[in-house]
Amino acid sequence: MNDRKQQPATDEGARDQIHGRVARTSIYALTGGVLLFVFAVLVRDEFHFRGQESAPPEASGPLSFTPPPMSKIPDGPAGTSIRHGMAIFENTGTEAKPFVGNQLACRSCHLDAGRKADSAPMWAAWVSYPQYRAKNKKMNTMEDRLNGCFSYSMNAQGSPSGGPPPKGDPIYADLEAYFHWLASNAPTGAKLKGAGFLKLKLPQSGYDRDRGRAVYAQHCASCHGDDGQGRTDINGRQVFPPLWGPRSYNWGAGMAQLNNAAGFIKANMPLGAGNTLTDQQAWDAAAWIDSQERPKDPRQKGTVAENVVAFHSGEKTFYGKTVDGHLLGSGTEVPVQASRR
Amino acid sequence: MTTDRESVDEAFEPYEPKRRVPLPVYWVAIALALWGALTLLRDSSADRTGAKQRIAEATTLERRQTATGSALFAERCATCHQADGTGVDGAIPPLAGSPFVGASPGVIVQILLHGIEGPISVNGSDFDGHMPAFGSVLDDDQLARLATSVRGTWGPGGSISPGFVATERARTAQRTSPWHGGDEIATTLDRTIGVQPAYLPAPRSPDDLTAQSIASIGKAGGWSCASCHGSHGEGRDGVPRLAGLSPDYIARQLLAFTDGSRPNDIMRPVAQQLTAADRVALGRLFASLATPSSSHPALEGDVARGAELALQGDDRRNLPSCFSCHGPSGFGVSPNIPSIAAQRPSYTAGRLAALARLTSRQPGSIMPAIAGRLSDADRRAVADYLATLPPSPATSSKDAR
Amino acid sequence: MNRSLPLVILAMAILAFATVMLVVAPKVQIGREPAAAGLKPYTTEQLRGRALYSSLGCVYCHSQQPRAPDQAPDAERGWGRASIAADYAYDSPHLMGTMRTGPDLLNVGARLPSASWQLTHLYQPRAVSAWSIMPAYPFLFEVKDRASPGDRVVWLPEDRRIPGKVVVAKPEARDLVAYLLSLDRTYPVPRSAIRDDGYSRGGATQ
Repeated sequence: MNDRKQQPATDEGARDQIHGRVARTSIYALTGGVLLFVFAVLVRDEFHFRGQESAPPEASGPLSFTPPPMSKIPDGPAGTSIRHGMAIFENTGTEAKPFVGNQLACRSCHLDAGRKADSAPMWAAWVSYPQYRAKNKKMNTMEDRLNGCFSYSMNAQGSPSGGPPPKGDPIYADLEAYFHWLASNAPTGAKLKGAGFLKLKLPQSGYDRDRGRAVYAQHCASCHGDDGQGRTDINGRQVFPPLWGPRSYNWGAGMAQLNNAAGFIKANMPLGAGNTLTDQQAWDAAAWIDSQERPKDPRQKGTVAENVVAFHSGEKTFYGKTVDGHLLGSGTEVPVQASRR
Repeated sequence: MTTDRESVDEAFEPYEPKRRVPLPVYWVAIALALWGALTLLRDSSADRTGAKQRIAEATTLERRQTATGSALFAERCATCHQADGTGVDGAIPPLAGSPFVGASPGVIVQILLHGIEGPISVNGSDFDGHMPAFGSVLDDDQLARLATSVRGTWGPGGSISPGFVATERARTAQRTSPWHGGDEIATTLDRTIGVQPAYLPAPRSPDDLTAQSIASIGKAGGWSCASCHGSHGEGRDGVPRLAGLSPDYIARQLLAFTDGSRPNDIMRPVAQQLTAADRVALGRLFASLATPSSSHPALEGDVARGAELALQGDDRRNLPSCFSCHGPSGFGVSPNIPSIAAQRPSYTAGRLAALARLTSRQPGSIMPAIAGRLSDADRRAVADYLATLPPSPATSSKDAR
Repeated sequence: MNRSLPLVILAMAILAFATVMLVVAPKVQIGREPAAAGLKPYTTEQLRGRALYSSLGCVYCHSQQPRAPDQAPDAERGWGRASIAADYAYDSPHLMGTMRTGPDLLNVGARLPSASWQLTHLYQPRAVSAWSIMPAYPFLFEVKDRASPGDRVVWLPEDRRIPGKVVVAKPEARDLVAYLLSLDRTYPVPRSAIRDDGYSRGGATQ
């Protein structure tokens, strides 16, 4: 600095001072910039790697629940019962053959072996029974509820025995053992997130069967077939369940009500791409599926019209309506048992 | 400098006076050093992670190699025959009380080695399906343990030795097709099985010759199928396996290559030469090939994780299992859903990666959504696992639905 | 240059350090690595093709070193597993390359094993991929009125054909294709192999 001061030209000195200040400011600015950059890179790396390592956490409410993994099924007699219950749940047509009158299994609607939220998961069902149900106007035990599943969703009227498993059948005990295990550590009686089917509000423009036909053709038909009969693999085993017709659930099933079907579709369909359809599309697709004939309601005593009054009043369903000149609810021909070819 | 005038050198070369290095420069240096050190630290720890992961993979593969018979059954057989061996009504025969399990030990070993197709009668029910051949994916040791376990649980028991399996393998080494129904087993291997329904071979259609010529030497001088996909449709690393895919699926893909709906520069020029009849005939041809699997894990994926994804999916990532759509053993569901069993891992992983990139463009389509939720490691894991599966069985035109 | 000696010493030290780290250490690490069990030595034909590969400058755009999954999605691109030292046992000098203007070629023989495809693609890459920026190599081919016996005719899509003529591969083209098809390192990696374990934590599944 001393050398500089000996320079005669004060003008230059002033300029130098300005230069010095500019240089200093730029160095400070550069330092700050580099520090910021380094910090940002470190932070980004940290988050980037984190994001790749852990699963994206699903939005979860206060009472979300995760069932135990299959590998945690205990050994011993209890485990045998749980495993058999799971086998019935997944392979209903074989394990409970005398009581199944269609090509569905429990897991056709209760996805992921009854584990998936918003597809009426069994861990949520287990903690909410016994329960009063308007459907049969009484307090229902889990066994009563399962009896209903067999009667309606599994169309037991078309089964070899012609009805659901009798009271006290070990099928109930094993299924309940499986549900109980799925609900390990779940709070009893609590409303769990993901229980039942999604409650989907009816959009302003309602539901429409013809719009539904287009939605079905675009989003559903590649798996369930244009004719709604599902698809089988090379061994004739049902991979995608039939949605209507003699091999599907009957008119008494919960899925035959539009609100249930729409909620199920919205949350779960197409499988693996749930919640990609709009509410409107879900309702319309449900309308198309529900406005097809299926096995008759086993509770029907007189005519369809009488049965509408007795059991279907207030339901959102095509039951008892006439579509294309056909009275829905008349039922399909008695299904041919287990004949896939 | 002003003290000793005499000593001043007139030819003095001016030099920069000493000045302090501004403090910020130190900060920059420290920050950069810190950054470097941190990066180095992360790298070195990840280096160990990589090695650890590799050892874990090797152990997984080894564990699969030495798995007990019942563990092999649970992973390899239970998707069809079910964990309790009851089978599936009308589709998969039960094992409990089956005359084939109860017959001489050679029968079960032969069925495992070559698979079986066509009518078969078990416990009074008739079945007409396809069991894959495990000969190319399980070694003699594994087959011996598996057969011993099945016969111990549902049959007369007794031990089957690896040596016995080796003898049986050598005895039928020339065989290129699965066993033709229960009838062939009952008449050639063990008559105690009893009367089985007759096996009717599928009729050969006249198109087959054209398809064979396109496949082996190409159409009008064009590249032949075999020149990349192998003479038996077995594929290579990076080239997909075609043998055993459903005929409809193959025909549809060839059409998609032609019209550009499945963009592929390598397939397009040759696919454009084909007529509709060629596509159908080629589909039938490759579907009918019973080619042993030559796929093996090649992407350093975690096979155990792959098995989990294929069999159970992952609830936390909202991933359904592969098999819930691609069929219980990954054999596909005609006509839209392809077989994924024994597929080449780099093809599977590459396809999944390509589908994942489509996510934003095609809302509602299934595979892009699923592939988009798979991490890169998961894609490799599942591709490597699928490569360990037995190939999907050959189907003849009578099976086409 | 007041203090030239320290400067020279410093420069030599840096050079020595670099030599140790970049030449001596790798040599100690991988110099004795034997050829991988599944790797075959090049045939004369393939070696001629290899020389052509060098002289045509393929290496300026194509690497021959697939990376570990943690570093690049090379395996998913179909380029094969990360290469190991033993993969290059017969490559002297190696043609690893540094640029990836085109795809990695270490496993091109497995990925694109069709010799007729390779010939078409060398003659005119745009006949296969309209967007390809790879130069064409027409000088490796001959355009004739008709093929003589023993000629290897190159198939071209309709819009690329020359009416009344056929395109025939010269021996050079066939050598080059033989070399390309020999690029196949899909055999399993020996457990003891020296290899790249990747660096990112993102690759781990656990």
